[in-house]
Amino acid sequence: MSDPPRSSSAQRGSALKKVLREPLVHFLLAGAAIFAVLGWRGEPGDPASRTIHLTREDQARLSVNFAQVMGRPPTQAELDAVIARWVREEVLYREALRLGLDDGDAVVRKRLAQKMDLIAASAADTEQPSDEALQKWLESHPERFAQEMKLTFDQLYFTSRGRAVVAQTLLGGGADWTRVGDPVSLPARFDQAERSAVEAEMGGEFARALERLQPGPEWQGPVESALGWHLVRLSRREPGTLPPLAAIRQRVEDDWRAETGRLRQDAAYRTLRRAYTVTIDR
Amino acid sequence: MRATIATALLGTAAVLTAGCDMTVTGVGGAPSEAARGDGAGTVPVAAYPERVLWGDTHLHTDNSIDAFGFGVRLGPEQALRFARGEKVTATTGMPAQLERPLDFLVIADHSDGLGATRRLYDAPRLLIRDATLRRWHDMMHESPRQSQRAMAELITAASNGTLPPAMRDPEAQAEATEEIWGRHLDTIDRFNQPGKFTALAGFEYTLQPDGNTLHRVVIFRDGSARTRQVRPYPGIGGRIDGLWDYMAAYEQRTGGRVLAIPHNSNLSNGLMFELTMPGGGPMTADYARKRARWEPVVEATQIKGDSEAHKFLSPNDEFASFGVAGWELGNLPLTRRSTPDMFGGSYVREALKRGLTIEARTGVNPYRFGLIGATDSHTALATGDEDNFFGKHTGNEPQARRAASPQNLGTAQGRFGWNYLAGGYAGVWARANTRAEIFDALMRREVYATTGPRMTLRMFGGFDFAQGDFDGQGWVAAGYRRGVPMGGELADGGKAPVFMVEALKDPQGANLDRVQMVKGWIDAAGVAREKVYDLAWSDPAKRRMAGGKVPAVGDTVDRARASYTNTIGARQLRALWRDPDYRPGQNAFYYVRVMEIPTPRWILFDALRFKIKLPPAALAEAVAQERAYSSPIWLVSKAAPAT
Repeated sequence: MSDPPRSSSAQRGSALKKVLREPLVHFLLAGAAIFAVLGWRGEPGDPASRTIHLTREDQARLSVNFAQVMGRPPTQAELDAVIARWVREEVLYREALRLGLDDGDAVVRKRLAQKMDLIAASAADTEQPSDEALQKWLESHPERFAQEMKLTFDQLYFTSRGRAVVAQTLLGGGADWTRVGDPVSLPARFDQAERSAVEAEMGGEFARALERLQPGPEWQGPVESALGWHLVRLSRREPGTLPPLAAIRQRVEDDWRAETGRLRQDAAYRTLRRAYTVTIDR
Repeated sequence: MRATIATALLGTAAVLTAGCDMTVTGVGGAPSEAARGDGAGTVPVAAYPERVLWGDTHLHTDNSIDAFGFGVRLGPEQALRFARGEKVTATTGMPAQLERPLDFLVIADHSDGLGATRRLYDAPRLLIRDATLRRWHDMMHESPRQSQRAMAELITAASNGTLPPAMRDPEAQAEATEEIWGRHLDTIDRFNQPGKFTALAGFEYTLQPDGNTLHRVVIFRDGSARTRQVRPYPGIGGRIDGLWDYMAAYEQRTGGRVLAIPHNSNLSNGLMFELTMPGGGPMTADYARKRARWEPVVEATQIKGDSEAHKFLSPNDEFASFGVAGWELGNLPLTRRSTPDMFGGSYVREALKRGLTIEARTGVNPYRFGLIGATDSHTALATGDEDNFFGKHTGNEPQARRAASPQNLGTAQGRFGWNYLAGGYAGVWARANTRAEIFDALMRREVYATTGPRMTLRMFGGFDFAQGDFDGQGWVAAGYRRGVPMGGELADGGKAPVFMVEALKDPQGANLDRVQMVKGWIDAAGVAREKVYDLAWSDPAKRRMAGGKVPAVGDTVDRARASYTNTIGARQLRALWRDPDYRPGQNAFYYVRVMEIPTPRWILFDALRFKIKLPPAALAEAVAQERAYSSPIWLVSKAAPAT
């Protein structure tokens, strides 16, 4: 708490203002208000009404839900069945509210709480992020999107360091490289292998060593791996790069959506939570 | 009638739940065309498999009826994130991450009652009429411990055929199942990344008459356009031919491909690999052919024990009976005890021998299968490493009491936490990391099992391999050119088969003790026999074979520190081996077993972490030699191989 109190409260104030400007938060607060009013009136809301009106839009929504599950739009008969089920559910739902069955029910409580979370996140579901926003997202999370370093090399395997050193001398004297290595089932050639694949096969020590070697036509080493000793001819090392947004737009957008939803849930909760005083007996 | 009401209400709850969940998991756009298909044409395919792919073919998430009840709250999305290497938070709150990512994953939730315990949990109590369901609902809400009790009861009920009708009726479950399946297929498509990480569609078929496990994991080769046309097929109360008919109908209707992987034969009380038809009578060639056609691979090792070999059946194998403690006592819920006469139908090596016996009589080998390992974890976390074991289910995620406490799925006594193995993985020699290539490798059995470590294992069988073939670079190419890889078949031509075998240690794990060949054959008298040969071992100069045995490798494990050193053992073991006991005309199988040096089991890591004292029975099993099993190569004397 070394910060001057004024600046920290000013920061908090500006954050709060920012949050209050969010339409989403208005929505949430309005929702909370409605719940509060309904609770106070001690009467279920709409349930008083015994009119159920299913608009064209409502039907379209049911139809879309069906299509999301089945991968195709419903036939008329299927839509009728969905509507009948929906009406049945609505009747039972209203009657349940009329009977106050929601009161003190752990499941209803949890479900409504979940719904609040969903509302908070839902804006991120439909929002179309701009290219700039996604570009920024891509750049601020390189570890999620960067392509790995790629390594192109030949390797010769030896059961001991000594054997590798002798072979290097032989290679220097013009020996046929395909004849000097000890037998092993590892491939001699790795073509644009991802660094993680090299590590999985030969161990981290070997992958790190390849990061230090200079690409060139000569046999280098000996380099130790988890499996033995190697002479390495490193022809190319392509550093890990961040692909352009256009190439991976969908992935970036998915990631942005998932995380933005979560962040908004947290933010919305924190806003609501501030209005509460919570005491917990210990 | 009451049941119907309960069902309808559970169903209603499901629709409500589904509506909410869809909004959550539905975030993000559609996956690319490449991710939705079988991967063909999306990435380069090698001429022959160059790199082994690691994966788990058997993982449960919160959609599984028992997993949810055991407490897991992680779903397919978190399971996939975890498998591809991301950090997630386990249900009990601990951060969880694999030290090394997997290359592929099959989420295999139980088809029976898919999502049912979640619906029961979420259903309004007032509306649950069935007394048993209501009691389970209450137990699930009361405490984790009570919830686990409820699941033990549920598994026993499923075994005894006494599940409440609302949970048993496939028609009643159909709608919910379809909805969950559709959503699941969308999720795996989003994570499927050809060339990098493969998510295959699958489910577990949970047939268990009287609690004897005849479980299968069913795996599809195809993308969601095809898999969406079917629903996971329920197992409880059914017959195995029902599953095969379902699989045949799927292939016929969609043009796709599907296979099934039996598992936990060790808990089947001898029913998994019978010499007879199910229910008795001589096995018919037709039945044998179907079995071989649909079930090319068996899961030989997993958290609920290892099924490779039992000392009762293989008294001369000093390494038999690995991971049988506790599991050998009886069936899954321990409602029926095992007797030794049942073991023959419960263990894999004996099954391979039985396959030869049945083939001699019918001309068809029903048990010509390859071997893989898997986790069967019910935590949504595909952990296979001893130092990172997240438990069989959420009730035994890491905590001080889990190693010593009773872990009875049913209500009977006899199994303890320390009986669980940390779980195995499948090594797959595929030409590319795609759905189609991984599936095809399973079909041709070019796969192997490990009890967790990722050792590389190559095996080729032929007739003209010689020591000189190892020279230079590229003996693997020669293996493919002039022989067959693991899983293959050799036609007996009157010459002894020769095998080229190499094992490389797990780059991040323990050194290797030895490489062995396990041979099974039918002798001149028509009797099925077996023999284990040591092919190569570390420090051969010091460890001289005596009386047909290679001396033990030693033990560097520091029990107090849960550590070991690679000061013994070898990093690479290689052998060229010609069968010295070959007789023309005798059908045989050959598979390789790779043994690591002794290392600490997960219970030692627990003892260190939680500062607990292990009970003596657990301490006796606190150190183990982890291992790998190749798929066999068969020597077939008939002109036309059966499969």
